[in-house]
Amino acid sequence: MTPAGVALVLCGAVALYAGVRVALEPDTLRKLPFLNVFSFAITGVIALLLPHPLGIVAAAAYFVGSTLESNAIASTFAGGLERG
Amino acid sequence: MDTVLLTTVHILVAAAVCWLNFITIDMFFKLPEKGGVVGATAIARHIEAGGGSLEGGTMMGNIVSSPDASAGTLLAACGVFIAGIPGGLLAALLVFIGNRICHDRGYAGTTGCLTATFIVFGFTLAGFSAAEFIAGMVIAILSIQGISHAYASRVLSTIWKVRRG
Repeated sequence: MTPAGVALVLCGAVALYAGVRVALEPDTLRKLPFLNVFSFAITGVIALLLPHPLGIVAAAAYFVGSTLESNAIASTFAGGLERG
Repeated sequence: MDTVLLTTVHILVAAAVCWLNFITIDMFFKLPEKGGVVGATAIARHIEAGGGSLEGGTMMGNIVSSPDASAGTLLAACGVFIAGIPGGLLAALLVFIGNRICHDRGYAGTTGCLTATFIVFGFTLAGFSAAEFIAGMVIAILSIQGISHAYASRVLSTIWKVRRG
């Protein structure tokens, strides 16, 4: 098994674990750090599966998009979108 | 030595290096001081309500709300894995744009990405694979955001108190 293969299996396992933790956490705002771990793991999977220069763009676009979503969810729950 | 075992040892070393890189840079840029957006502060309050610490929770909220040095380290490892140092520099540019998209005026993410690019590249010269750093960074962020928020926030607060003096 190549190092990239081991890394891929590990990222996949962490993504699965984080997905379960997101589902089990009752507090919506405390779900977001688990969702953050999920995004990290999936970003790693994208880069490991797409070893092409545009793979970096795809991984970064996925990561920034999911971060912005978490940001929006947290800010909406906090009662507004103005900077804190 | 068995390849899988050697890779596992490399990933654990990479996780420790990534952890030190992103914690050092996030502390340098004072992430635990205040929430960059109102959502980060709200996450911090919920972590505190769950038995955690406010300053550590603020840093965790900031990590969730915008690409910080941890995201920079991950994307630098992805960039170096795919295209060497130019890939890491492209990742730093994308993190910079990502910070602006997320209303973050800081430079923790971009700085973390640049330092990680050279750290990861240096380790590839010593027989490591950049893929091991991708997995290492995923484990590093798991230790902060994915196991116990109360415990992780207290650890971050302790480091923050040392940094603040």
